[in-house]
Amino acid sequence: MLNILKLLLPALFPSWRFFDVIAPSPRIQFTLLSSEDESPSEWLEFRPRPAHLPFPQMLRRMSWNPRWNESLFMVSCAERLLVNPTQHSEDEIMNRIMAELMRNSSSSVATSTTHLQFRLLLIERQESQIEQEVVFYSRLQPLPAQGEAWS
Amino acid sequence: MELEHAIRLTEILLGVAFAQQSIEHFKSAANERILFIPRLLLALLIIIGFQTAWVTLLLLLLGLAILQRFQGPYNGGCDRMSLLILCCLCLTHFAPTRYWQEVAFGYLALQLILSYFISGWVKVVNPDWRNGRALCDVFKFSAYPVSESLRGLSESPQLLRYFAWGVIGFELLFPFSLLSTPALWVALVIAACFHFANACLFGLNRFFWIWITAYPSILWFQQRVGAMS
Repeated sequence: MLNILKLLLPALFPSWRFFDVIAPSPRIQFTLLSSEDESPSEWLEFRPRPAHLPFPQMLRRMSWNPRWNESLFMVSCAERLLVNPTQHSEDEIMNRIMAELMRNSSSSVATSTTHLQFRLLLIERQESQIEQEVVFYSRLQPLPAQGEAWS
Repeated sequence: MELEHAIRLTEILLGVAFAQQSIEHFKSAANERILFIPRLLLALLIIIGFQTAWVTLLLLLLGLAILQRFQGPYNGGCDRMSLLILCCLCLTHFAPTRYWQEVAFGYLALQLILSYFISGWVKVVNPDWRNGRALCDVFKFSAYPVSESLRGLSESPQLLRYFAWGVIGFELLFPFSLLSTPALWVALVIAACFHFANACLFGLNRFFWIWITAYPSILWFQQRVGAMS
């Protein structure tokens, strides 16, 4: 009850400080491993944005934009992980990457893949330079065998 | 605009906004769908005007369950505005007298004004916003631009400086639009265009729908305050 009240209060008395400072921005990258002991060799950006988005597609997204809104929620979870790490935030990111992999399983997941890990890359401006730094590694998540449900 | 009309229009717009948000969750995991299918049904009920007081209360309780499920807002300020509108509508419906109804609905109008003014204030006191650098950073490395080609706008600092001052000026001047009804209408059209641009450039489509949901409250508020003076 106290937790709900704590979550509700910012809605009743909002701060409305939209974009007051441009904070360092997290990116989610993931890797697929063939065993628990394997060292990650390649990190893939989760849902890289398209090179170009035509205006008609922007208009369509006014009423149907689930993937982008989910990606923004994952960015929120990444920010929460950096400020106040909780199992919930890590699980939300992990489960959504797994669900995405399951949807695209035929193309992106090799049959030998057994584990998933994600990391957070923080991008920020230092003076006039854009710098990036890895600031978080998730747990190693065993993947279900091919053919099993991944959610 | 009469109070009753403004409340009813707010309910219809809220129903549309919630229906749009809920449908976006229909392909999510089962533990999300279980929250958003009822929300869609309640949104449809509020649009048709069925038992709106109780439906609003149920939507508020469901909103709290969603807040708990995601351990905070799913969509940042959009979810906060949704809950604020729901709380104000609930208080309006269950207030014992018309005076308290007006206080609850007026609070929503006040928060709408503050949502623009405070956003402008925190920008104008930040040198990075005044010189355009902050908006350059938004396009350069924030998570918001919807395509890589939009990041190219960060290479036009002079243009972004004009945009930044346009946004700051509009947000700071927004409260003055209350001085006349035509000025308020013009300000609300500009504000809606601003949210539309944010939806196109940064994918913040839900903000567009939920912010215009609060507009009837300020249209009523402006006339109510005008009638008093």
